Amino acid sequence: MKQAVAVFMILQLLPWQTASADMADAVKSTKGYGSKGYVWGKLLPEQVAVLKLNGDAVRGKEAFRGCRGCHRPDAAGVTDGTYPRLTGQHASVVIKQVTEVRAGVRVNPKMDPFAAEHAVSTQEIADIAVFLASAETTRENGKGDGDYQAEGKALYEKGRCSDCHGRRGEGNENKAYPAIAAQHYGYLKREMDYIQKGVRGNSHPDMVKAIKHYTHRDIEAMADYLSRMSDYRQSGAERNAK
Amino acid sequence: MRLALHRIRGSWLVGVAFLIPGMLLSPVITWAQTVPIAERLLLCGGCHNSDGNSAIPENPNLSGLDAEYIHRQLQDFRNGTRKSPAMSGIIPLVDEKEFEALAAFFSKQKPKPGGAVDAKLAAQGKEIYDEGIVGSAVPACSGCHNDDGSGTEKYPRIASQHSAYVIQQLMNFKSGERANDVRAVMRAVAKRMNEKEIRAVAEYVVTLKGAQE
Repeated sequence: MKQAVAVFMILQLLPWQTASADMADAVKSTKGYGSKGYVWGKLLPEQVAVLKLNGDAVRGKEAFRGCRGCHRPDAAGVTDGTYPRLTGQHASVVIKQVTEVRAGVRVNPKMDPFAAEHAVSTQEIADIAVFLASAETTRENGKGDGDYQAEGKALYEKGRCSDCHGRRGEGNENKAYPAIAAQHYGYLKREMDYIQKGVRGNSHPDMVKAIKHYTHRDIEAMADYLSRMSDYRQSGAERNAK
Repeated sequence: MRLALHRIRGSWLVGVAFLIPGMLLSPVITWAQTVPIAERLLLCGGCHNSDGNSAIPENPNLSGLDAEYIHRQLQDFRNGTRKSPAMSGIIPLVDEKEFEALAAFFSKQKPKPGGAVDAKLAAQGKEIYDEGIVGSAVPACSGCHNDDGSGTEKYPRIASQHSAYVIQQLMNFKSGERANDVRAVMRAVAKRMNEKEIRAVAEYVVTLKGAQE
């Protein structure tokens, strides 16, 4: 047991040192999770406004231009996980994340200038969301080593992560739960880490609770498993069988 | 310059053409008068060349830039939102009514290919231009300005622009001295770059060809 704790502690230290570039993101939000009055899913005024609009994928593709520098022209992000893959993400999720970054609920200094009001309009957020929901890429996502597949699957399903994010990692459009299948390994790992530490500002309190007791290795195993899932849209056979 | 003179040579306008800039530049007349574009080019062409391909690397090429973009810059120089020691002396001499035609004129001029570059520096710049700098969250320039630097109506063409000018503008965005980027995005990007990276990108921009028609 002592050995396990020691290994865990060392593992815990390593990624924090190597991921120094991302440390700026790991700042507790004063408006988000852990702050007084934070309620997950309570609609911000801008979210109400966006949801009333009709998004347009053609306009969205053009508006996405301002995002391409980081998320790449095919919206597949960067495979090391610095920037997430956005292809096929639910429109509701994209709207929630962009508006919450902009409102400072989710602290994200890297994205801030590009998500601000003068950079992207309310209508453009709706357009981009529709565009991304149908966007596809031929590029492979960044995957884990594949060493912890069974372990990751067990943790993901028994830990009830799949209750919300789905057994295929497909998320839930109506509830704005993100699709996480085939996301970049590095991104999955980092965000789970942030959620566990309470520094992802728009975390769902249930998820913070659910992930609390997981070790760093558990998180790596789940990230490994999720990164090796096929794009949920491509697993139609399984969907039909359900 | 030669082009503009050729168009008015032999006409009675020739005298007026030389008179008007003289009058405008005199300290007595400090406000603008509308003049035909051929005559106005005597003023603009002095720094930007009458075909918009400036011979002086510190002065930007205007050829092929989006007309709306040029128009907005002229307005920003006029109202002080964009500052330039050179333009601040010139812009009061130009009537605002001419802005649209001037913008349209330079927009239609054919851009010249950029000059020789330091290939090693340009290669470093290409990396940044195409991929960004992931470690310091610098987005790829190509995301907005296109792979070929052709830009769009929202993001200006930067292909074959003078490197000295590009460096100066990026440094100005970085320091906040230039703050007329509509979406405030260039300031955010330039702040994340150091001078070495800026120089490399500027070197690569010179080699870009823009849209091939």
